Amino acid sequence: MRKPISRRNFFRIAGGAALAAAGISVLPGIVGKGWLSPTQSAGAQDVPPDLFFAATDGWIGLPASPAMPPYHPDNMAPTPFTTYVFGFRNVTGLNQTQVMAQKMRAQHSAPMFWVNQETTMRLQLTNLGLAIRPDLVDAHTLHWHGFRHVIPFFDGEPMGSVSVPIERSFTYVFRPHDPGTYMYHCHVEDIEHVHMGMTGMVIVRPTQNGNTSLYPSGRYVYNDGDGSTGYDREFGLLLSEVWNEAHWDDSHIQLPQWTEYRVDFGLINGRTWPDTIAPNAPFAPSASNPDAFTFAVARAADGDLTPPPGSPHLQYQPQSSLITCNAGERVLLRFANLGFTEAAMTVTGIKLRVIGRDATFLRGRTGADTSYLTSTVTFNAGESADVIFTAPAYRGPDPYDTYLLYNRASTHGNGGQMTEIRVHPAGALPPQTLPNT
Amino acid sequence: MTMFKFKWMRWGLALGLLLTLLSTNSAVRPQAVVAQSTPTDGIVCTTSANATFTLRTETGYVGMSDDNTVFMWGFSIAGQPFQHPSPVLCVNQGDTVTVIVQNTLSEDISLIFPGQENVFANGAPSAPQFSGGALTSLAPVAAANGGAMTYSFVATRAGAFIYQSGTSPDRQVRMGLFGALIVRPTRSTGNPDTRYVYDSGDVVYRAGKEFMVLLSEVDPFLNQAVERGEPFDMSLYKPRYWLINGRGFPDSIAPNFAAWLPSQPYGALARINPYDAVANPYPALVRYLNVGTIEFPFHPHGNHGRIVGRDGFPLIDDGGADLSFDKFSVNVGPGQTWDATFDWRDNEGYSENNPVPITIPNLQNMAFGMFFSGSPYLGLSGTKPVGDTAMTQCGEYYIIAHNHALFQLDSWGVPMTGPATFTRVDPPLPNTCPQ
Repeated sequence: MRKPISRRNFFRIAGGAALAAAGISVLPGIVGKGWLSPTQSAGAQDVPPDLFFAATDGWIGLPASPAMPPYHPDNMAPTPFTTYVFGFRNVTGLNQTQVMAQKMRAQHSAPMFWVNQETTMRLQLTNLGLAIRPDLVDAHTLHWHGFRHVIPFFDGEPMGSVSVPIERSFTYVFRPHDPGTYMYHCHVEDIEHVHMGMTGMVIVRPTQNGNTSLYPSGRYVYNDGDGSTGYDREFGLLLSEVWNEAHWDDSHIQLPQWTEYRVDFGLINGRTWPDTIAPNAPFAPSASNPDAFTFAVARAADGDLTPPPGSPHLQYQPQSSLITCNAGERVLLRFANLGFTEAAMTVTGIKLRVIGRDATFLRGRTGADTSYLTSTVTFNAGESADVIFTAPAYRGPDPYDTYLLYNRASTHGNGGQMTEIRVHPAGALPPQTLPNT
Repeated sequence: MTMFKFKWMRWGLALGLLLTLLSTNSAVRPQAVVAQSTPTDGIVCTTSANATFTLRTETGYVGMSDDNTVFMWGFSIAGQPFQHPSPVLCVNQGDTVTVIVQNTLSEDISLIFPGQENVFANGAPSAPQFSGGALTSLAPVAAANGGAMTYSFVATRAGAFIYQSGTSPDRQVRMGLFGALIVRPTRSTGNPDTRYVYDSGDVVYRAGKEFMVLLSEVDPFLNQAVERGEPFDMSLYKPRYWLINGRGFPDSIAPNFAAWLPSQPYGALARINPYDAVANPYPALVRYLNVGTIEFPFHPHGNHGRIVGRDGFPLIDDGGADLSFDKFSVNVGPGQTWDATFDWRDNEGYSENNPVPITIPNLQNMAFGMFFSGSPYLGLSGTKPVGDTAMTQCGEYYIIAHNHALFQLDSWGVPMTGPATFTRVDPPLPNTCPQ
């Protein structure tokens, strides 16, 4: 009695057929061309993934007031949470028992991850199923949105490729050639799965990084050749939206009518103001919880997330959007929008230079500088924008100056896409080691 | 559940697409438009030796992806049946374009040509029309119930443009009185394999690889009110369908002139071969046009479009600097046209001899898409689970392109329809794909 959805039914049928295939595979002599057994590729053996993500459902905490009965807060949500989501979790380094224990512990937004240009990265995805919706046997995928010239096998678009059924795994291999700001999301039933929270940011770092002759930090957005995209600090800001009714529908075995879509909450990195400026969940990097490709968020003994200090309702919203910098520093804001409506991020008192869009350096093929200054950056669903500003002089008298960065296009009242830029006196903050810190 | 049944019929139609692709050369197509050529995919040009077109209004019904049908108006070449969208008029730069509008509707209509200059209406400068100080039309009208008006202009700039009603456009454009106008530069590249997009700059595309993405929206209550002759409160306007070339997915990937879409002749499947420095060095060209009321952020997977011009203006500055840019979201605003070149490159060169560096799971441990050949490798077809629906022909890739305002990827409650299509990447030539 669920949805008149083609692909979901298609997967059910495909699953049934797969079971038949499994039955055949146990018969001796039937296995042909290796396709019914795992296909071992040269060099693939014993190569562990760089990242291991799990897809599942869970709860997040949004402002409970004002309430929107019956949709918000969700009456099924355990305290202190309000809203049902689907999402990804980073389960790299966890053992099998711990991985399985993350079912019903999705986070939003999904873990930001980063990879160096020309570096091969393996990302294993497993599907833990949906605890609240055992009737929904959806597969999941990881679609790297904007990756140029991908083969369908690694694109995660389920019609032209494969997807990951419940309790199965698949490893995506990426070797990015183009630096910039990207995003990723599940592409199965993607109206629903994207809206339910399976959305995150991806950063590709340029090969120019490490060259301190062009900019002292040696960190760049693009291979600019002249240091014009050098920066001291970077902050990834992934925008998403919550339509309360759609989230409630999924927890209550109901079906939203998507053409009625509206935005009740605008989120940055999975949180609404003022939670956006709450700290990151604590980090605990280790050999089994590396931070080479993503944040090494501290994990409990059973693998669960640890809430940011003082914010138990943000246990599954670990990523902060607080922007801190010293006067005079160059600060990179990476914007990406996986909501369904156009955003207009604005700030008063700071000039923003848009130096890239959609992982493309704004420099024409014949060298013309097409970057531009603005105070409001607009970008629509599925677009990204790279913005650099030079932190203005410290004015005081507080320990830092505060500038508000917010979505001017936001028409909804319940929490918003707003965060703070805090400018400290020159030299007050130590160099940044990880994004969003 | 009837909806289940409906959806499976949809996929049956998609299956029919591929069968039709196999037999298109012999297929009998309804002659909905006077077309220069009728390829199964790619833009369908309506041409005229002297760039003169007689467009007569027709009314009819358009099929949506939820199996609803919607009453629609449109222009057809006089004598041809109703079609949606209206014909793609293709002319050459410098042509004096003449469009004779014959109005069979019961209200005045007109045509405007955004992006064109010095348009004439019955020989006089076309200008907004006023009555008693009130604006009545953006251009001189073809009067209701049999009136006619002749518009003419010199197509001075190459590019993609929209033509549309200038009378009550908020209602008449939404009712379907719109179409695309393609102006081609007259200069030659000197290479029979390529065409210039504009009359300046060096952007070329592979001849015959030109595609259209015409984005529109429909509020069925408006169309129903018009059909019944009832008033419609425009403050209640709310689109429920979003279309690409007048079709929703999966109709969008059916061939041009698919027999089961008699009034929606234009497909949106883009069929290309991989880039090859020798054999296939030139990109394809997409004409994006938006006749809706908001920006549509169209997202082609697998490649960036290189945006080479907008509204018929090449992205070149006065000094000749190339200002074109790559984008993975082609964010076409209302009334805008964007021209983008694109290709698909087999960057990693994966093949059986250069396999994907993973252990491919067992068959039963993956869910298979119906447009997946069963093999990761271009040109190969692998084993798929027994009973699996296999829509591929020759190991080709299907790479989706869709509107990323995802609530619009819906047909009034049927998700995963609406403005989506595929880029079909065939293996390098020669291949075994039916042409």
